[in-house]
Amino acid sequence: MPENTSYMIAAYVVAAVVYLLYGGSLLTKGLRALRKDR
Amino acid sequence: MKPTISGSRGIIKWGLALTALGLAAMVIVYVLALVYTPFEVRQGAAQKIFYVHVPAAWSAMMAFTIVGLVSILYLWLRDERLDAFAASSAEVGLVFSVIMLTTGPIWGKPIWGTWWTWDARLTLTLILFLLFLGYMTLRSAIHDPAERARFSAVVGIMGMVLVPFIHLSVYLFRTLHPKPIVLKASAPSLPPVMLRTLLLGFLAASVLYLGFVVLRYGLARHAVAERDEEN
Repeated sequence: MPENTSYMIAAYVVAAVVYLLYGGSLLTKGLRALRKDR
Repeated sequence: MKPTISGSRGIIKWGLALTALGLAAMVIVYVLALVYTPFEVRQGAAQKIFYVHVPAAWSAMMAFTIVGLVSILYLWLRDERLDAFAASSAEVGLVFSVIMLTTGPIWGKPIWGTWWTWDARLTLTLILFLLFLGYMTLRSAIHDPAERARFSAVVGIMGMVLVPFIHLSVYLFRTLHPKPIVLKASAPSLPPVMLRTLLLGFLAASVLYLGFVVLRYGLARHAVAERDEEN
């Protein structure tokens, strides 16, 4: 394994968690709003 | 102009599509960066943090610049849609800033030997983040919509003014932070295979910014339309 792999993995995981938490929250609210109006 | 349920539904649909597209593009960037892009000789795996850090920084700066521009338009036209859009862009900018301000120190530790240093680029970026946290706090503290929009527009414009200073800080001051390798006067100083991954990262982060903002804006307009309909 190349040097500093753990730092690379940590950064990618942090970014993915933030994108998925915020994106997932917005997607859920958006779908819920569309479903409610139907 | 008062929002309608059907109008906000259309915006939400666009936001959902763009967000899904942006997230899918980000998955492709992850695969390209982690599997197909070669390791840099001196920094090893830590250099690959660059493919998530730089696009997130790009989208954060774009978001805060748009807040400022839209806020100027708001002060001129006094259209509540502009205020709602500025608020959406500020929130999304903070999300990208969280990624920028966490992945940066994770890269700094193995390369600089420290998580954080108080140099011009890092300090100004932290101030910008705190300024927009203040912007969101201000918005939740003022109940009168016109007053809230006016005050937060002024803060948003002040935040935008910081963005060019942050970009130029690596030239104006002696800093540890690397100089730009793409957004500069001369040609990008990066091998084509790395440049391709980085440019795709910029594209994915831009689409994701657009998706998040449109969706967040659509939800805000939908909430106002629902409230108006109930009254």
